[in-house]
Amino acid sequence: MRTITYAQGIKEALVEEMRRDPTVILYGEDVANFGGIFRITSGLKEEFGEERVFDTPISENAFVGAGVGAALTGLRPVVELQFADFLFTAGDEIVLKAGMWRYGHGGAYRIPLVVRCPSGAAGVGPEHGQCPEAFFMHAPGLKIVSPSNPADAKGLLKAAIRDNNPVLYFEHKLLYAAKGEVPEDPDYVVPLGKAAVVRPGDALTLVAISAMVPKALAVADRLAKEGHHIEVIDPRSLCPFDRPAIVESVKKTGKIVVAEESYRTLGVGAEIGALLMEQALEYLDRPLRRVAIPDVPVPTAAVLEKFVIPSEEKIYQACRELLS
Amino acid sequence: MDRNLKLQIYRNMILSRRLEERIAELIKAGQVGGFMHPGVGQEALQCAAIAALRRDDYMLYAHRGVAYWVARGIPLEKVLCDLAGREGGTNRGKGGVMRVVYPELGVLGESGTLGGCFPIATGAGLSIKVKGGDQAVLCFFGDGTSNRGTFHESMNLCAVRKLPVVFLCENNGWAVSMPTERSTAVKDIADRAKGYAVPGKVVDGNDPEQVFAAVSEALQRARTGGGPSLVEAKTYRLWGHWIGDPESYRSREEVEKQWRRDPIPIYEANLAKEGVLNDSLRSEADADARTKIDRAIEFMQKQPFPKPESALEDVFA
Repeated sequence: MRTITYAQGIKEALVEEMRRDPTVILYGEDVANFGGIFRITSGLKEEFGEERVFDTPISENAFVGAGVGAALTGLRPVVELQFADFLFTAGDEIVLKAGMWRYGHGGAYRIPLVVRCPSGAAGVGPEHGQCPEAFFMHAPGLKIVSPSNPADAKGLLKAAIRDNNPVLYFEHKLLYAAKGEVPEDPDYVVPLGKAAVVRPGDALTLVAISAMVPKALAVADRLAKEGHHIEVIDPRSLCPFDRPAIVESVKKTGKIVVAEESYRTLGVGAEIGALLMEQALEYLDRPLRRVAIPDVPVPTAAVLEKFVIPSEEKIYQACRELLS
Repeated sequence: MDRNLKLQIYRNMILSRRLEERIAELIKAGQVGGFMHPGVGQEALQCAAIAALRRDDYMLYAHRGVAYWVARGIPLEKVLCDLAGREGGTNRGKGGVMRVVYPELGVLGESGTLGGCFPIATGAGLSIKVKGGDQAVLCFFGDGTSNRGTFHESMNLCAVRKLPVVFLCENNGWAVSMPTERSTAVKDIADRAKGYAVPGKVVDGNDPEQVFAAVSEALQRARTGGGPSLVEAKTYRLWGHWIGDPESYRSREEVEKQWRRDPIPIYEANLAKEGVLNDSLRSEADADARTKIDRAIEFMQKQPFPKPESALEDVFA
């Protein structure tokens, strides 16, 4: 199989879906003429024309809400936010409109909208460096995906575009250059709501999200050398959330660490903790451990950022603690 | 405007007024919930603007009144079932009377947050343009709502992309207890159109014919690639913000003076002068409205409440 980057996976998904379906459009700040500040969408305007690929003014409320309006009236918009943090700028349009318009109107409409959200700490500070998935897991009506590798980046984006519901698609900035094997089949999709066991094992369950997955795999290698074969689970979708995959793994391992780039309080790990209390308490032989940001904004300076973002070492230490 | 169109607008104004009076009675009697914002006094502009739409156009209505639904032809019994939170309405009890929706007639629904309508209308306009159609979008909003940032963002986005959206401001002088002159720096909301290089026009919102002409012109411009327009219809909120509003923030004299501008008797007099309306047509319109409302209420009262567990449905498609 050929190897491409995460960024190329995203672009391939966009191009293939736009070729397949003329109702798919793409817009956002600097996406058309410039090709996006992360260079994902270069050449798309040339292929699909200025009506289907265009630049918007700096107006997140209007253009995200317009995505909802366009979805209500027969298009499948893919809206790019320059940074995932700007979801809060467009909070009404994301939570109250994309998430609730269908419900509030008794299911009269469907909302096939994808919002692309470049996420993650990358030396860019509090308002450009967050992984805010957990905020939106709390909001009904939104599907959420966070791919950790090129194949999932492509397959989940294609599934998101084909889905008839609003999907927040979190693409981690530090993963854009990551390489991996990706199928060329134009109908290769990764179903939403299905976790991947990226490395099977039985000593401990390590749930890792987005950019935490490569770190988790490195930890798994290190522990394997020490004789501990841990299982690494990548949820891939946070809504729908593949709860059975996690519960089943914990029934086998009895130990769990969750590594995420969210804030610790009410993060994804907190939800997993509650899930296990409800469904697998008797299988846990050690308490759950969360490796997350310690409830501070993401600082800008490298030394500070490195201190708060879960590192391979911190994940390793959390696992070691449970394995000892 | 031909005679039939004038009579159609007049009948819709009467039906809206009678319906609102009956809804107020139902709310006061505790027979239905009260999350209803009356539009008494604003029926002329609402009925006339909607009369200018084509069947395949889209519309987003505002919080105030029933005339939008009446004028668009949504069956009254459905509106009443939504109000009462019963089966048989348009939104299965999920959105109340605030979210009456009717896809067959391009009624996209309502934003619960004021100003949430603007981006949605922009998106509907975007859809029309991408698909190459010649429909238009009519977006109603109040003077107070024109102060939301979404108004600015959406007007500008529609203007730069030449989207076929008509923004229709119902300036009724009040945002709950806040008079327009205290909330809004410009005297005419229509002046704001200059900031987006689009046409802005002020009309007497209590004169249906002025509103019809201005909205028709704006729709025509939208259909032919001219982009958005802003129309401001000056009117007045004759009733309180909600049924039971003590209205301690405005004087009785002010309201009494405005009742003399009530669009219904004024239009009746004008139509009579033109020979379009006579006593028998007038009583017929009134009787017809009452019969329709009686039937709709009877239907509504027989409808069951939704199954409680249906609260779990309609989140995802």
